[in-house]
Amino acid sequence: MMDNASKELYEEVIESGLCTLCGGCTGFCPYFVIHEGRIVRLHQCKITGGQCYQYCPRTPTDMNAISRHIFGIPYGEYEIGIAKEVFLARSTDPEIHQKAQDGGVVTSLLSVALTEGMIDGAVETKLDDEKVPHGFIARNREELLECARVSYEPSPVLEAINHLPKENSEKFGFVGLPCHVASLSKMKVSPPTNRANIENVKLAIGLFCGWTLSHGFHQFLQERFNLSKAIKFDIPHHPAHSFDVYTKSETQSVDLDEITPFINKACSYCIDMTAEFADISVGSGRTMFKGWNTVIIRTKAGAEMLEVAKSRRAIETQPIPAESLKNLKRASLSKKKRSLQNIISMTGGVDDLLYLGISQNLISKLLE
Amino acid sequence: MSNIEIDAPGTTQLLLGNEAIARGALEAGIGFATAYPGTPSSEIMATLAPIAKKMGIYAEWSINEMVAFEAASAASLSNIRALSSMKANGVNVITDFLVNLQMTGIKKGLVLVVCDDPGGMTSSNEQDTRPIAKWLNIPLLEPSTAQECKDMTKWAFELSEELGMVCMVRSVTYLSHTRGNVRFGRLPEETKKAHFADFYDIDDPQQSKYTCGMQFHPYKQSEVLLKRFSKAQGHCEGSPFNSYNGPNTPDLIIFTSGICWTYATEAVKILNLQDRVGIVKLGTTWPLPEEFVTRHLERSNKVLFIEEISPLVEQSVMELAASLPADRPRPTFYGKRSGHVRAWGEQDLNLVIQSIATVMGTSYRSRQSSNAEYQSTLKEVAKTLPARPLTFCPGCAHRASFWAIKIALQLDGRNGFVTGDIGCTAMGMISPGSFQVRTYYAMGGGVGIANGFGHLNQFGFSQPVIAVCGDSTFFHASIPGLINGVWNKSNFTLTILDNSATAMTGFQPHPGTGITATGETGKKVSIEAICRSLGVSVQVCDPFDLTDTVNTLLKVMRNEGNATVVILRRECELVRARRERKKPYKMYVDSSRCIGEECGCNRICTRVFSCPGLVWDRDAGKAVIDEAVCEGCGLCAEVCPQGAILKEAL
Repeated sequence: MMDNASKELYEEVIESGLCTLCGGCTGFCPYFVIHEGRIVRLHQCKITGGQCYQYCPRTPTDMNAISRHIFGIPYGEYEIGIAKEVFLARSTDPEIHQKAQDGGVVTSLLSVALTEGMIDGAVETKLDDEKVPHGFIARNREELLECARVSYEPSPVLEAINHLPKENSEKFGFVGLPCHVASLSKMKVSPPTNRANIENVKLAIGLFCGWTLSHGFHQFLQERFNLSKAIKFDIPHHPAHSFDVYTKSETQSVDLDEITPFINKACSYCIDMTAEFADISVGSGRTMFKGWNTVIIRTKAGAEMLEVAKSRRAIETQPIPAESLKNLKRASLSKKKRSLQNIISMTGGVDDLLYLGISQNLISKLLE
Repeated sequence: MSNIEIDAPGTTQLLLGNEAIARGALEAGIGFATAYPGTPSSEIMATLAPIAKKMGIYAEWSINEMVAFEAASAASLSNIRALSSMKANGVNVITDFLVNLQMTGIKKGLVLVVCDDPGGMTSSNEQDTRPIAKWLNIPLLEPSTAQECKDMTKWAFELSEELGMVCMVRSVTYLSHTRGNVRFGRLPEETKKAHFADFYDIDDPQQSKYTCGMQFHPYKQSEVLLKRFSKAQGHCEGSPFNSYNGPNTPDLIIFTSGICWTYATEAVKILNLQDRVGIVKLGTTWPLPEEFVTRHLERSNKVLFIEEISPLVEQSVMELAASLPADRPRPTFYGKRSGHVRAWGEQDLNLVIQSIATVMGTSYRSRQSSNAEYQSTLKEVAKTLPARPLTFCPGCAHRASFWAIKIALQLDGRNGFVTGDIGCTAMGMISPGSFQVRTYYAMGGGVGIANGFGHLNQFGFSQPVIAVCGDSTFFHASIPGLINGVWNKSNFTLTILDNSATAMTGFQPHPGTGITATGETGKKVSIEAICRSLGVSVQVCDPFDLTDTVNTLLKVMRNEGNATVVILRRECELVRARRERKKPYKMYVDSSRCIGEECGCNRICTRVFSCPGLVWDRDAGKAVIDEAVCEGCGLCAEVCPQGAILKEAL
């Protein structure tokens, strides 16, 4: 396994339908690129022990090792992972509020971190004119605001880190989905030697994620909408059943049932809804708290960030009602159980869980 | 270049076989010469063209062999001796015309010189053209030496005129490209006057000799042809180019022709069998000089045939032997049929020695093969020699073109592929062309076969097809294929790799260059104007702009249901370098940035991109520029993922 590289990555992950299109394997080498929602292997690489394979979130992943590295304890079933604190929050900045997807907490936190010199840039996702997501490093408030919206398409965020030259010594914040954070965590557990120091990523913010839309979804959007005019995409929570595309003047909707066929199959093998290895995880406030974010503080770095943001009055918070927390935990646990079943039905047994390295104890518990 | 045009009878010059052929044509007093470039034939026109004006000859590089030969025929029909030269593949191109020209016959001497390539060293195959001469009843002469190249070419014109039919002179790579002493004859001093006579005889239209006047009764013309050809027999019978050398009653008699005669002669000497083995050298291999052959067949009860590629002499002599009366002796025949002579590839001295030794039952071990020390030294030396695979020249635009095509096909992701063509672009099959070419047959075959792939969609075929041809190949045979694709709405992209030269064969001009064989300014023909006139979408890219080329190809591949054209234009680097005599960039590697064998690079520059100007310093573990080889094109700077290869404008 230590010898595995591009060929194995291509066969085990990309061709097997496990690729989340996170960009972990692109940007660093000339052999893999992301193109129109596919990871493409351009040339044959003969290296053994490739970093593409090592840092992919869907190659064998020792969850205990990552958990020990980040939290000092092995990986256990905590429904939403290790949480120091869970609450609701929103930005106090009206401009951020207006431009953000939900409560604007991510943009506010990073804005404070930039202003305070805690980071020099934020590794984020930016949509281009045609609303194709790309990895991007935002180095000021304007650029942060350009990255405030989500697209529901997978973004090769990690490509932006992989692109950094070795001698780069800037400090970064990072915003990604659970798969992005998983890849970043694998890099942190065994840091790459011939690229920019991964320890310079000081703060990892994970976004809650159920699935992304890929494999022809962008073409579907292109055919239906004038994407250059779109300013926001949204999937409003129950009881709505639509995918909404906002322009400055109007909102167009398509039935959610038309969208679901584009859900990346790889997402059905993911057990992490809340980005459990992030410093701070952020999701929407759902229907009950529209315009708010659900926030999970997981690490010391996350807690410090929160304190600074609070002291600068960049965000306001309120406790999360017990019922909402219960719902969040139930949703997260349900994804874990469902995905584990999906993995088992793909491999034919618990002896082979594809990439997932978790304890026997945990497997039994999730299968109950 | 040898001084082949001097009028100094009796003097001797060291000439290439092909130069000797050109001299032979001069001594025969040709007024017209045409050719299409093709190794190993190209030097014939390359020798004639520069002196054509001075010698009062019209010489041209034609668009293809067919037009070349047709044009030469016009001269012959108009009372001017004409020469047309080509490689073996070219004869396939002219065959239709040739079959019909045989029906009408010609007027002044018309000689078709064909240079075959046994072993296929510089060809797509090792076709033997001689059977075409036998099939079409064309007198066939096979020189063995440079002297004979000259003498037999000259004689071929006389024979052609005498018989009223085209004559073929057949050379091979080894003969065309080897120098030998040639004793010059006289250059004729006659005034040539062209006139297309006998076009139409108003009193007796049936006598309209030089046109296809009999086309409604071709079988009648066949009879005329056979009668005409039967006269050839007599001329061959007495020809001094057929000879026998050996004892009166040898144990073994060898029948051979062309370059193989030199191998056989030397082999018999080395084996010290001069007293036991005789050699019949055939200069006129078709028609066979039957009496001459029969006479020598009777000398021995063992007959061995030494020839390259096809068993033409072998089969013809065996046919003749089978027709002899029953009381004549029946020798045992050895050759390709019996397995004593290798049936493919070039012959060489060692092979011929082995064949003779086997038939004679003598053992032979060469000094080299029996010397253990020599053999072990050979192995040691072989280890130190680097492998030298075929490659594009440093700075070649085709490397960039195939790199872009590969990336575009991978990004497209529908298992698209390239149908290839003849010329430098054929190297798209191997490493320098990123292994992209999947089919490779004949001039124009790339776009031709793409026509078919592009119509398979109704059977579930969904792979994009990129047909590739060079600029000269486009003019030669690709235009009909493109028109057919446009007309029938076939789904392919014709990618013309326009390096503005017939590079593979030595930079002969073509219609796109606008320069003629004799260096004059002709009319320049625009590739894109031709394509655009068909109403097809035409994009022109510089292949060195990799991003633009990749994006253009990606876009046109999606243009389903239509043939499209992309011209990837950049001048052949060798032509540019020769003209400008300086490199555009100084290239160098910042070794602190080069990560070479590490993950993140894996030597993409020297292992995958593999331009000869980039070399791998094993000791340092870094890429370096080989300044003696690098042309300074700057392309590798675009390919290096670490930005370690830098270019500095000069």
